[in-house]
Amino acid sequence: MAGQGVERREILRILAIAAGAATFPGFHKWAFACGHIGNGPTQIKPAAYHPVFFTAPEFALLDCLTEIILPTDDTPGAREAGVAEFIDLMVSRDSELQHNFRTGLNWLDSRSKQRYNRSFLTASPVQQTALLEPLAYKNKHRPAGQLGREFFETLREYTVMGYYTTEIGLKELDFPGLQFYTESPACPHKDDPEHRHLPPPKW
Amino acid sequence: MVRGMPKQIYDVIVIGTGAGGGMVIKTLCEAGLKVCALNSGRRLDPAKDFRDHRMPWEVQYRGFLDPALRNKSVTGFAGESEYVRGAWESEITYTTAPGTKWMWPRCSAVGGKTNFWGRSSAIFGDIDFRAASLDGHDVDWPVTYDEMAPYYRRVEKMVGVASTIQNRPSNPDGVYLPPFNFRCFDRILQVGAEKVGVPYLPDRISQLTKEHEGHPACHYCGNCTSGCEVGAFFSTPFFLLPSAEATGNLELRTNAIAKNILVDDRGQATGVAYVDRNTKNELEVFGRIVVVAASCIESTRILLNSKSRHWPTGIANSSGQLGRNLCDHLYGIAASGYLPQLLGQPSFPDNVSDSSIAWMPRWQNLHHPHEEKFVRGYSVYPDGGCWEFPSYHDEIEGFGTSFKREIKRRYPTPVSMMTQIPTLPSARNYVDIDPVAKDSYGIPKPRIHFQWGQNELRMWSHAKKQCADVLRASGGVVDFVAEEPETPGYSQHEIGTCRMGNDAKKSVTNRFGQTHDVSNLYVADASVFVNVTDKPPAFSILTFSLRASEYLIEQFRTRTHSTSANSQS
Repeated sequence: MAGQGVERREILRILAIAAGAATFPGFHKWAFACGHIGNGPTQIKPAAYHPVFFTAPEFALLDCLTEIILPTDDTPGAREAGVAEFIDLMVSRDSELQHNFRTGLNWLDSRSKQRYNRSFLTASPVQQTALLEPLAYKNKHRPAGQLGREFFETLREYTVMGYYTTEIGLKELDFPGLQFYTESPACPHKDDPEHRHLPPPKW
Repeated sequence: MVRGMPKQIYDVIVIGTGAGGGMVIKTLCEAGLKVCALNSGRRLDPAKDFRDHRMPWEVQYRGFLDPALRNKSVTGFAGESEYVRGAWESEITYTTAPGTKWMWPRCSAVGGKTNFWGRSSAIFGDIDFRAASLDGHDVDWPVTYDEMAPYYRRVEKMVGVASTIQNRPSNPDGVYLPPFNFRCFDRILQVGAEKVGVPYLPDRISQLTKEHEGHPACHYCGNCTSGCEVGAFFSTPFFLLPSAEATGNLELRTNAIAKNILVDDRGQATGVAYVDRNTKNELEVFGRIVVVAASCIESTRILLNSKSRHWPTGIANSSGQLGRNLCDHLYGIAASGYLPQLLGQPSFPDNVSDSSIAWMPRWQNLHHPHEEKFVRGYSVYPDGGCWEFPSYHDEIEGFGTSFKREIKRRYPTPVSMMTQIPTLPSARNYVDIDPVAKDSYGIPKPRIHFQWGQNELRMWSHAKKQCADVLRASGGVVDFVAEEPETPGYSQHEIGTCRMGNDAKKSVTNRFGQTHDVSNLYVADASVFVNVTDKPPAFSILTFSLRASEYLIEQFRTRTHSTSANSQS
């Protein structure tokens, strides 16, 4: 059996994590945002979310970081998809994640204060980018310390997990699955087995 | 047992309701035998327990599992997900010898792993049955393809298999429903594979591309391994158990964890002792014949734990072979990467069967058994395209709009190739009983001894090179090759520990699965297989089990089962 759902198992393997405990009240902001998909950019401010694990300042920083990683551009970003809430849920269930996120957020904020004399949240977009780039690009920059890189990697991974499992995220990908077909979908490029003559990329 | 109450004696007790047990139950009940089946877990209600049609945001942890529970879970296997509940065991009921790593997910629900299996269904051929004669390693199976072919045809008809006639020397063809269509990446990889000299063909898949024997056609939603609500692929609860229950000859006891086989003063089987999962009470059930089909290691555990004056090392173990010859499939990502041709193209429903659409069937050692630096051969499962989750994200650097756009551009492009490499039987690989550890029902745990051997590791190296070559020849970019294969046990294709053979001194059962030592005790799962081949076991379990059942019926009717002399042929 089993042997075959490679990508799906890949996802699950990502998460080797230890136990924590808390109950989660639900995806408050996300549920809100969801109701407005397709109605254009919503102007309504979501009701306040009360984080389960993070402190309010930590949560604000987390929310800001997720939006920097997957920003609102032509399509909605991480904030509208409620990614920070998803991360709060996952982290609330696991003590190792709690340690990693808390340490990482504090580290980043301290670094911002050290370099720019202001918190990450109040730093300018240029400063924020300058703080994150050494963590994100391994080859372009000299090592910025293991802790920072590992934190950013985890943060980005959970941001991706949280974003692409919402209706917003799957719409962004134009996810074609979980639909019903009458026959198994076939490659439409009959005369082009090597797919050398496809129309120009859409993106 | 209350004194004075006449004890009920069934014709046959069957332990397990998966591919092996399910087929036995159906065949015996339809032949008019009274069957009591024991299943270690509960019945699933597909409408309630299968949540395969939910979107990720409709389950609390989006399909990633509650992090708090994950730590306690055995495997992180997909079946144990938020899309199906209460089917997989969370207790780890085995130990491993020092130096052994082994992952053993156990599905305790009625129907076992057939509820969630990969559905890939290539059958064994003479190149497998006669492998020892060809290459000099180990022993041949006690059966030939010609002998098995009629049973394979009958199971194909019962189950419904989608594929094509392929004329491959290692892969006997059967009778098929229309194949699944190839997707863009299949066709690209097929061209690349041809250049490298590797076959890339439709897999044999037990999934209905059209209505079959009263079962509905697949609707291609793509979450098959979370269980199919409508039963559009083979599982025993949808395909075998209903007809058994319709006969009125079946009593199915759920949450009944088999502990050991009961014997009389001649050492013949009289029934089964089991523990009720809920009350933890030990109970007994009696039958004229006992069939063990609890899955390879579980069946072995039951037999090894059945010690008595007659059977001091476990029932039916006069050969000392019980628990020996443990084989597994080495799974690993031989290559993964992406196809730049498809960058930025529109998304396409590639994931309509949870994989298994294509495979690269064994292409090594076909003309001569020693063409390669290893003996026998392996096969590979390719997969890719638009899956629900962009797991390739960690191959892309950066953040921000460029990162988001790159995830979108790459969405149709990822491909990966997973090996299915057989291990050779080895004296180092076996199952015994842990002298100390017991599970929460007081049952001594099996202990697993297992290491990959040289032959399979040579295949693994070979596969990594060949798969990367295929991907590059397809115009693709290789961005990941696993250093190490998956943990042993990952494939859930363990076999061999109650090996069948004609020589009672060297095998546990005869060529029908009847134990050499105890004529009214049968084994009907993958534990009777002589080696693991490069094919998945479930379809062959069904086939061998059908054959074993008919032999059993014949024995039952002529009552030869009541003597301890072993009758073969």
